[in-house]
Amino acid sequence: MECEESLELLSEYHAGALDEPQRDGVRQHLGDCPPCDDVYHDVETIVVSASSLREEEGISFPDETAVWQRIQFS
Amino acid sequence: MSAAETNEVATETKSKDTDIELAQRSAAGDREAFEQLYHRHFRRVYALCLRMTTNPSTAEDLTQEVFIHLYNKIGSFRGDSAFTTWLHRMTVNHVLMYFRKSSTRSELLTMEGETPVQIVRGTENQDKMPIVDRIALEKAISELPPGYRSVFVLHDVEGYEHEEIGRMLGCSTGTSKSQLHKARLKLRDLIRRQAAQN
Repeated sequence: MECEESLELLSEYHAGALDEPQRDGVRQHLGDCPPCDDVYHDVETIVVSASSLREEEGISFPDETAVWQRIQFS
Repeated sequence: MSAAETNEVATETKSKDTDIELAQRSAAGDREAFEQLYHRHFRRVYALCLRMTTNPSTAEDLTQEVFIHLYNKIGSFRGDSAFTTWLHRMTVNHVLMYFRKSSTRSELLTMEGETPVQIVRGTENQDKMPIVDRIALEKAISELPPGYRSVFVLHDVEGYEHEEIGRMLGCSTGTSKSQLHKARLKLRDLIRRQAAQN
């Protein structure tokens, strides 16, 4: 498998959604190609980091009461 | 029992009302019940609007609109799913509607005219991607085109499946998958650029 094809399949590979020949092809390519392997690990890092954004920690919330008052006047 | 204690018990009792009970009372015209629902879910709705728009002012306006819409539609909540799931879906749909109004369909779904994602592989820059902190990731997400951002937030942050995203965005499952992959690669590029500038 060439780099271009491998890079196109990285998200599907990460999701475990490829059929066996494609999965084996990507796996083998990543083992042989450190630059593509780096891209794969970066994608993995982004996916893991994204899940933490669901938490509300760190968000500066607006004034809940003020928004409620606007809703009431609508 | 003092008045304060009575109030405290009343508040405690109120807080034990389930969402479904509050929704039913709201549908019957009980504004106090609706206010309880509002306070219970305000932060969740705002956080979702903010994640999808990355703009606090827009998120606040959309939050307000979502609750007005909720008030008008609450009678249609049948309790088939959890109230939080129902409201979450309503919020997502409202934000997507906002995107549709403020951009063309092609911008939202197909990214026509977008600069193709340039995949910078490791040999071209020996530096590994920096550890992604929340601020760097949020900044990069805010720079994504709305279509990429919607799919990325819905899938990687909110945990929706591609089939459901396809239904919400009116596109195929394959398009959703393709947009997600492009969004991730674009984010990688943006994060690396940010790191290079710092």
